[in-house]
Amino acid sequence: MSFLTPLFLLGLGALAIPVLVHLIQRERKTPVEFPSLMFLRRVPYQSVQRRRINNWLLFLLRSAAVLLTVLAFSRPFVSQTPVQASMANAGAREVVVLLDRSASMGYGDHWQRAKDEAKKVIDGLGNGDQATLVLFDRSAEENVRATGDKTRLRAAVDAAELSAAASRYAPALRLAQSLLSRSTLGRKEAVVVSDMQRTGWDRPEQIQFPEGTTFTPVSVAATDTANVSVTSVTFNRTRFANEERVIVTAAIANRGPKPVEGVPVVLEIDGLEVATSRATLTPGVTNAVTFPAFTLAQSFVRGRVKAGTDNLAADNVFQFVLSPARPTAVIIAVRDGAAAAESLYLAAALDVGSPRQFDVQIVPMSKLTAPAISRARVLIVSDATMPGTLGPALKSFVERGGGILSIVGSRGGPLDGEGALLPGTLSDPKDAAGGRPETLGVIDFSHVVFELFKTPKSGDLSGVRFFRYRPISPAAGDLVLARFADGSVAMAERRVGAGKVIAFGSTLDSDWNDLVLKPVFVPMLHQVARYLGQVEEQPAWQNAGQVVDVSQRVAALTAGGTDERVTSALVVAPGGDRQTVGGAAGMSVELREQGFYEVRPQGAAASGRPFTLAVNIDPTESDLASMDAQEFTAGATGKASLVSAGVPTDVKPAESERRQSIWWFLLLIGFVLLVAESIIANRLSQKPAFGIR
Amino acid sequence: MERHEQSGAMPGARFVDPKVLSRIGSLDLLARNVVDGFINGLHRAPHFGASIDFAEHRGYVPGDDIRRVDWRLYARTDKYFVKQYEADTNTNFAVLLDISKSMTFGSDGGVTKIDYARYLAACLAYMAHRQRDRVGIVTFDEEVVTYVPPSAKHFDVLLHTLDRAQPVRAGRLRAPLENIAEHFKRRSVVALISDLYEEPGEIVEAIKPYRFLGNDIMVFHVLDQAELDFPYREASRFQDLETGEEVPIVPESLRAQYRELIAAHIDALRTKFSEIRVDYTLVNTSRPLDDALFSYLANRERMMRVR
Repeated sequence: MSFLTPLFLLGLGALAIPVLVHLIQRERKTPVEFPSLMFLRRVPYQSVQRRRINNWLLFLLRSAAVLLTVLAFSRPFVSQTPVQASMANAGAREVVVLLDRSASMGYGDHWQRAKDEAKKVIDGLGNGDQATLVLFDRSAEENVRATGDKTRLRAAVDAAELSAAASRYAPALRLAQSLLSRSTLGRKEAVVVSDMQRTGWDRPEQIQFPEGTTFTPVSVAATDTANVSVTSVTFNRTRFANEERVIVTAAIANRGPKPVEGVPVVLEIDGLEVATSRATLTPGVTNAVTFPAFTLAQSFVRGRVKAGTDNLAADNVFQFVLSPARPTAVIIAVRDGAAAAESLYLAAALDVGSPRQFDVQIVPMSKLTAPAISRARVLIVSDATMPGTLGPALKSFVERGGGILSIVGSRGGPLDGEGALLPGTLSDPKDAAGGRPETLGVIDFSHVVFELFKTPKSGDLSGVRFFRYRPISPAAGDLVLARFADGSVAMAERRVGAGKVIAFGSTLDSDWNDLVLKPVFVPMLHQVARYLGQVEEQPAWQNAGQVVDVSQRVAALTAGGTDERVTSALVVAPGGDRQTVGGAAGMSVELREQGFYEVRPQGAAASGRPFTLAVNIDPTESDLASMDAQEFTAGATGKASLVSAGVPTDVKPAESERRQSIWWFLLLIGFVLLVAESIIANRLSQKPAFGIR
Repeated sequence: MERHEQSGAMPGARFVDPKVLSRIGSLDLLARNVVDGFINGLHRAPHFGASIDFAEHRGYVPGDDIRRVDWRLYARTDKYFVKQYEADTNTNFAVLLDISKSMTFGSDGGVTKIDYARYLAACLAYMAHRQRDRVGIVTFDEEVVTYVPPSAKHFDVLLHTLDRAQPVRAGRLRAPLENIAEHFKRRSVVALISDLYEEPGEIVEAIKPYRFLGNDIMVFHVLDQAELDFPYREASRFQDLETGEEVPIVPESLRAQYRELIAAHIDALRTKFSEIRVDYTLVNTSRPLDDALFSYLANRERMMRVR
């Protein structure tokens, strides 16, 4: 038994008060008149009688009340070890064990120690206690749900495996909060076994555990961590002799406290070591290592950069996948006999870029065929009238995902006989009123086509002067992308099936407007072409834990080969696990492991290498800076109390006292005793005082 | 217990609590109410109607009151005869009232001993007066304060004296009683009302002269309940009402001994008075007056039988 404010024990001196009250009885100030002291004088007066306790019950009540009150103010508490404190509370427990399995837990023996700590908690379960094992990285999953079966829980801990994903505490804590809120057991505990990585906190989280929940962070973090990691790679692509050459530059970071010299940095391409370099890394600094160029001859070339050997092997290697740039096929359909100047600006603008992004083919309308259209991704109809015979082919092209940009000059018209493709109807050409050129008044910068120019100084479309234009009257459901200053529509979009059609109400030459002479023309045209062709950049790598929709890529792989759409694909994980995705669930793949994922379309002829995804651990996992238990608790919750079952921190006396709150009971009992004393004393004093007149 | 049995033996006797009597301002009215109620309750009025019953004629002797001559008999016999009634044979009744300071005591909001003594004296005197006894009173403390000789006309004086009596001094029995005893040469009924705070021997010695003169003596020992029980709890200084002397007392430590001493005192008085044929009645001021009145009536009845 200890006391938080022992000075209050001086108040025990007050115990003398009831003793004095009872021993030295106060004589009345006014004497009691009595007819005669004749007989009283005959009784021998014994002063010793005055020291006798008058009323033992009252004396004991008063003494006990004073004693309890003084003890209550001294704030007593029983010194206990955290385990004792945990065991002392009666009632069955609901324990949620949150076991961090993020990539950083692979550092040294962290993972094994974390498992051991989790088992300790499981072994501490008593009769009636229940525990839930939650494994978490960037997401959290209930591994074993609310059970008192220790064997099952221990087996689940043993079977748990590290993931390559990053740590995120919030989802795990929210899951624990939800589990504990639903529990009907009297005592609730959340135990987090983790390396307490600081990067696991995205932002301040408002976790509200149920009242009285005991929150116990158990840290397995090492104090002195040395870690070299490859954080990213960049590529410099050039074309040489009709081949694409790539120069890889890797960023190598030293997250440890000591400098590292002569670290070998190796570049592997398709499993072969193609270059090696050495780097000297100072603490907390990221250095760049550039490798010689190599030729990128095939698709899905697997690259890997390795640097250093330390306790966290997962971030010593960095995977990537590269494919030769594949230009998007664009057909510019022009009227027969059109001058080359009419499509000059278009072709030249699309040809800009290294490596070239668009494979442009200028085709006169009379030579445009359905197969040619189906091989392209984007069809630009440059102020020409589309023959009605191509209508079905165009419709099919768009519905399968193709894109059409219809540039409507004086000759432009409906793309098909039914008018189902062109967004809206066309008005007659208009000249700018009063010789004053028209400008674009309203532009939808939220649209992909224009979002590049959303920010100031990123391109001025308002300076484009239109001398002649052809307003579009869009139908219901068509999107208006831009309007002229007079309110008529300058650019509209219609979505048909999986594809899109955009109509532009003027020409793209220097006759009707000066757009082609403006700096914004090239980037805008590239945006339109990419948007219509649904061109997506293939990232060279993904971070573990992400969920990737591969349907577009699978479709792109099989495009042109057959008209049948691929509906499912086989995904082979780096560890060899196979998974079929597709159907109603969609082609989403959760990238759990570090390494290369292969995606093979099912039902389509295999051609070349399979679609490959490179997966690396989240770069934040390389930052092993950890929080201490108190800081973690403060971050997790401001209300739950801290018990350090596995952390070598002592429970503070104030915390012990607050948790036990013995003073409250003492004060209550003292109060009850005082009430009892008052009642008894009142009853005794209600007897008449004889002789007092 | 004995007193309870006595009052219980008187069917219909309903006496008023002394606290209630204290609200009646007039002693006359008080005495009438108490005594009339008491006597009516007894249903034995003939005993006391002797005073109006004709007894006999006797010859007139000089000194007789000529108002008592039976003129009709004189007309027939031409001799003077005086009518004698039973009442005429009644005697003197005198109250010896102790008005010492100790008589002012009264506990627990009850009547004081002196008030109780007043009621008692008034009631006794009224009863005596009703049966044509001559009534007188002596009040005394350490000396005789007032002496009203017994007379048939002194009832009002007696009441006035009672009303006026104020206890202011300490009391003694022997000196004042011896001084006044010589006035009681004719056989009288003497009622001594006192708290008798003296040694039993002294008290008996003070009473004896009256007894030797042929008086019938009734002693009413007036005590408060607190004087009998000593129920005090708190340690206090106790002050003697007569001397002003103070003594610190822890009541609980000597209550038992006190009770033994007061009981022994009462027993001694009872014994000694019975030895000299004096009626002794212990009167508790918390009890109605019936005990004392009954004692008086029993005494009177015995006297009549003796005649």
